[in-house]
Amino acid sequence: MKMYKPKRLHPISILVSLGGKIKKLLFPLLAVLFFGQKGSDKAFISLIISLIVIFFSFFSSFISWFRFTYFFEDGELRMEHGVFIRKKRHIPFERIQSIDISQGVLQRMFGLVRVQMETAGGVLSDGAEAVLSAISKREAEFIQAGFSSFKKIGQMVAAPDSTPVYQITTGQLLLLSLTSGGVGVIISAMLAFLSQMDDMVPLRKIFGRVVYPTASSLLLVVSIAFLGLFVLWIVALIRTMLKYANFTVTKNDDDLVISQGLFEKRQITIPLNRIQAIRLSESFVRQLTGYASVFIESAGGTSVSSEGSSVVLLPMVKADKINSIIGPFLKDYQITSMFNPIPKRAMYRYIFKTWYIGIPIVILSLYFLKLWGLFSLIFLLGISIWAILKFKDAGWNIENQQLSIRYRLLIRHTLFMKKNKIQALKVHESYFQRKKNLATVDAFIKSGKGMSGGHVTDLDQKDIQDIFIWYAAKKEG
Amino acid sequence: MELENRISKKALKVWRISGIIKSVIGWIIVAFVYFLMQFFHWLIWVTFIAGGLGLIFSFLDIYLFPLLRWKYWRYEVREEEIELQGGVIIKRRTLIPMVRVQHVDTVQGPIYRTYHLASVIVHTAATVHEIPALEEKEADRLRISISKLARVSDEDV
Repeated sequence: MKMYKPKRLHPISILVSLGGKIKKLLFPLLAVLFFGQKGSDKAFISLIISLIVIFFSFFSSFISWFRFTYFFEDGELRMEHGVFIRKKRHIPFERIQSIDISQGVLQRMFGLVRVQMETAGGVLSDGAEAVLSAISKREAEFIQAGFSSFKKIGQMVAAPDSTPVYQITTGQLLLLSLTSGGVGVIISAMLAFLSQMDDMVPLRKIFGRVVYPTASSLLLVVSIAFLGLFVLWIVALIRTMLKYANFTVTKNDDDLVISQGLFEKRQITIPLNRIQAIRLSESFVRQLTGYASVFIESAGGTSVSSEGSSVVLLPMVKADKINSIIGPFLKDYQITSMFNPIPKRAMYRYIFKTWYIGIPIVILSLYFLKLWGLFSLIFLLGISIWAILKFKDAGWNIENQQLSIRYRLLIRHTLFMKKNKIQALKVHESYFQRKKNLATVDAFIKSGKGMSGGHVTDLDQKDIQDIFIWYAAKKEG
Repeated sequence: MELENRISKKALKVWRISGIIKSVIGWIIVAFVYFLMQFFHWLIWVTFIAGGLGLIFSFLDIYLFPLLRWKYWRYEVREEEIELQGGVIIKRRTLIPMVRVQHVDTVQGPIYRTYHLASVIVHTAATVHEIPALEEKEADRLRISISKLARVSDEDV
């Protein structure tokens, strides 16, 4: 195997990089093409511009492919790249934090894979430390083998001691797809409704013109809007299904290996000792059905996943089953549902905080929309209920070496953190909080390159003191 | 339970200077607004509002905020952890275990240098914390002792 000679990536990586660039440029290009002109020669000019842009993208993709070489030596991945300034980067296998192997459609046609590696260092450089966008599967296996047991470099080790942890069932996949993007659909429904608002509501009166919508045109608009939403929802549903199809988690020695995807396959490897925290997310709908999603925050998290730097561990599980699934290998974590609530006097603060925004909106809409403005009261009721939910969900718990906090943004988050993984703890109190003897607590953990964490607003000062003392206490776990 | 150490009293002076610089920039903008309004005969009362805001912010930035910030800033470096306390309107309190400290810097800008002050900046794997306006010597001593303590209690991320 020619592993020790500098070589280029498979040429298909030019197309992969070109595709990424075109994807980014798509909207500006379309805008130039369709909205930039109203005359035939101007249309010609914008076409030329687009072609030039595409040509340059191709050219730069080609050059960067041409100037990029890599090889393996001494248990290190060595890369050289750069057009004018040559950069060399050596990454020792033992320093690799996580490996993300994925396979797009292009790579799949040639039996190749894309490998992305992260190391812990380099706060300044964002994104992955090393991306090999098109290499053979054999090389990927080589890297992975070197990574999971860097002492045995050179020999292909078949994954030893691999135990399956979780496999998504068809029912769960269906439920996941049905409930995901629910919020997005609702928001877009609201936006669509708002943009039609001026047709349904005599908003134009304010501006001196009167427009009476006819019943039939209104019906048409509404039905088109709903049809559009339905299509969007179906598209989102199919995308989620493709993304999470075949979702499996296995434990190989001391690594977690997550693989997922039907057409676009990806595989993420995370060493168990790099896990910084476990996060539970429950949206309204999933909470009602008793399901939750489990994420892990890892010190070598991949920034490519759409969920930020956290990685989906269990996309859809019954909340009460989580302990039995992850318990065997994440032994120190207790997925508890016992939480100390925050004091009752905080509830009014939660509600009033939303009213600062809500009341002016109600007043404005009553003023401008007259009778129609009464609908804004529903909005006020909605955000008040949301505030009460936030109050009810806020809570904390300390058990041995673990701090668990629960809070709701739009969906409910529960964060389980080990004391020795919390990077810093911060308490802040405003004047009004101080008067009520309340304060907010912030816990920071490392996640990928940056930080993550959670906070609970309006805890009792005495409880906060307890958390502080727990965190400061000397005994390390 | 107040913490032991305060930052240098010279911080007041330094913050007032940067408050003055900020205010001067603010007043240049106010003057510009005044000029525009006069020149084009636009809304004169905008000038009054701008001037009023200028007065309030100058007062806050030059007098009140430096005073309060200095008054509330406390820190303590113990063997096992660093504790910081501060804030003007919102009171903050931060606890950083020594084991979590990755590295420590001291930083000195031009104003700090003239007054022989320096900031100590503590980095953990995820967060960055600053102790501002310490006496140069104290800052150096702190940097060395924190990095020593941090090394004693070394551990993986």
